[in-house]
Amino acid sequence: MANLNQHNMNSTNHSWRNFKNGVMQTLTFVCAILVITPLVLVFYHLLWQGFTSINLDFFTQLPKPTGETGGGIGNAIVGTFVLLGEAALLGVPVGVLGGVYLSEYGTTKLNWWIRFTADILNGVPSITWGIVVYALLVVPMHGFSALAGGVVLGMMMIPLVMRTTEEILQLVPNGYREAALALGVVKWRTIVQIVIPAALKGIITCVLLALARIAGETAPLMFTALGNQYWSQKLTDPMAALPLQIFNYAISPYDDWHRQAWAGALILLLLVLSINVGVRFLTRDRSRQRNN
Amino acid sequence: MKKLIISLIAGASMLGALNIQAQTLINGAGSSFDNPAFTKWFSVYQSTVDKTVNFNYQSIGSGAGQKLLLSETVDFGASDAPMTDEAMAGGPGKILHIPVVAGGVVLGYNLPGIAKLRLDGDTLVNIFMGNITKWNDPKITALNPGTNLPAQAIVVVHRSDGSGTTFIFSDYLSSVSPVWADSVGKGTALKWPTGLGGKGNEGVAGQITQLAGAIGYVELAYAKQNHMSYAELKNAAGKFVACTLETVSAALATATIPEDFRFSMVNAPGDNSYPISGASWVLVYQKQKNAGNAKKLVPFLKWAVTEGQKYSSQLDYAPLAENVQQRELKLLDTIAF
Repeated sequence: MANLNQHNMNSTNHSWRNFKNGVMQTLTFVCAILVITPLVLVFYHLLWQGFTSINLDFFTQLPKPTGETGGGIGNAIVGTFVLLGEAALLGVPVGVLGGVYLSEYGTTKLNWWIRFTADILNGVPSITWGIVVYALLVVPMHGFSALAGGVVLGMMMIPLVMRTTEEILQLVPNGYREAALALGVVKWRTIVQIVIPAALKGIITCVLLALARIAGETAPLMFTALGNQYWSQKLTDPMAALPLQIFNYAISPYDDWHRQAWAGALILLLLVLSINVGVRFLTRDRSRQRNN
Repeated sequence: MKKLIISLIAGASMLGALNIQAQTLINGAGSSFDNPAFTKWFSVYQSTVDKTVNFNYQSIGSGAGQKLLLSETVDFGASDAPMTDEAMAGGPGKILHIPVVAGGVVLGYNLPGIAKLRLDGDTLVNIFMGNITKWNDPKITALNPGTNLPAQAIVVVHRSDGSGTTFIFSDYLSSVSPVWADSVGKGTALKWPTGLGGKGNEGVAGQITQLAGAIGYVELAYAKQNHMSYAELKNAAGKFVACTLETVSAALATATIPEDFRFSMVNAPGDNSYPISGASWVLVYQKQKNAGNAKKLVPFLKWAVTEGQKYSSQLDYAPLAENVQQRELKLLDTIAF
C-alpha cells in the first residue's frame, strides 16, 4: 500500500515535471521564432513594396528631378561599393595587423588596454564617428568627399576587424607556431606563412561581416560623403550611397521617391544578406576541412 | 547572386566612366523646403543652359545649411530663416541673402469627417500654448458655425529638429500674439509649451495622419502629397484663406523687401494673402574664393531667380515679382571672384 502510494506520487510528480518542461520548451521555441520573425517580415515587406520598382533603369540611371517619375539610383549603388572599397583599403590592413599584434606579439598588460579601447570604439555611436571625421577631414579640406566617407567607414571597421582577427588567430593551435619555430623559422615568417594562412578563411569571414555591418551606415555618411545627385568623378567630390539615398527618398513627400526608397532598401538588404550567405559558405568549408 | 552583383558593379562603373568629362561640381546644402525646386532647376538648367556644370544639393535642414556655409564646406547654403547678424559674423566674409522661392506653411489636422476647418491667429496661439485642449472649445466652434466639432482632445504636433518651417510658423505666431513673442518667441528650434515632437516635415505629417485629433504645421507640399486636410486661416484683412500658390503670391506681393533681402512676409496685409507664408534664401559669400565654381554658380542663380521661377511655380512655390527679380540680379552682380 505504501509502495503504491509512493508510485502514484512519483508518477504525478513526473507528469508535473514533464508539463513544466513542455511549457518552458514552448516558451523558448516561441522566443526563437520571434527572433527570426522580424527578418521574415522585413524581407517580405521590402519585396512587396520594392520589387515592382526594380528594373534596369533603377540600376543604371541617375535620380530624376522632383515631379518626374522614373530614373534610378545607379550612382548610389556604385557609390556604396566605392565607399566599401575605400573602407576595406583602410580598415582591413590596419585591423588585421592590429589583430596579429594582439594575438602574436603583445604583452598582457598592453593587450588589455588595446582590447579595452577597441571594445569602447566598437560601441561608439556611428554618428559620433561622422562628426569626428567631419571635424578632422571635411572642415580642413573645405568640402565633403567620398574620401572622408571611406575614412569614416574604415575607422569603424578597424576595431571590429582587429578584435575578431585576434580571436580567429587564437584558434590556430600553438603546435603550428612551435613546430615552425622549432624548424628555425623566424617569428614574422611563422606568422605570415603558417598562422595567417591557417586562419585565412576566418579572417576573410570577419572582414566580410564588418563590411556587411558598415554597408548600411547612414549617419556617419551624412557628415562625410554627403550624397550626390550625379556620378562622382573624383574621390574628393561628395558621393552618393545607398543608405543616404534611401533616407533622402524616404523623408520626401513624393510617392515615386518612396517607391524607390523601398526598392533601394531591398537592394541594400540583398547586398548584406549575400555577404552573410557568402560568410556561411566560407565557414562551412572551414569546418568541413577540420573534420577531414 | 554574387555574379549578378559583380556584373552590376561592372556595368554601372562603365556607365560612370563614360560620363566622365570636364564637369564643374557645385555643392550646396540646407533647407529641405527648397529641395524639390532645386532638383528641378538643376535638371532644366543642365539640359537647356549649361551642360558642363553639375549641382549637388543635399537637403539637411536650414540650420545645417547655415553652419556648412560658415565652415566653407559648401559653395552655397539655403535656409528658410534669414541669418542673424551674430550668425553672419561667424563667417569669413560677407554673406548675401538671395530669395529664391516662397511658400506656405499649413496647419494639417486629423478629424475624420471634417473636411473644412477655419482657424485664426489667436486660436492657433492658444492651441499651441496648451490653453485650448478640446476641438469643441467655444473659440474654435465660433469660427466654424455649422461644423459639428467633436469633444475630442487636441494633440499638438510640432517639429523636434531645427527647422525653417518652425521659424516661419513661430514668426507668424509672434506677429499675432505678444504673449507668444514674449514667452516662446520665434526661431528654428523652440521650447514648446505643449505637444509632441516629430522629426522633419515627414515626422510631423506622419504623426498627424496617425493620431486622431492631431494638429500640426507642415509645408504645403507635404500636406498635399499626404492627402492631409489643412485649415483655412484668417488673414490680417479678416478674410479666411486657404494656402494656395495664389494666396502665397499675394502675400509675397505685399512684403516690403529691404536692401539686404532679409524680410518676413507673415501676417501680410491684403484680402487674398495667406498669413503663414515665408521666403527661402540661397546664402552665398559676396567674395568667392573658388573662381571656377563661382563662374558657374552666379549665372545659375541669375537664371533661377528669373527663368527658373516658371518651373518652381509648377511645384507650388510662389514666383518672385518682376521688380524683386531685377533687384536680385543687381545684387548677384556684386559677387566678386
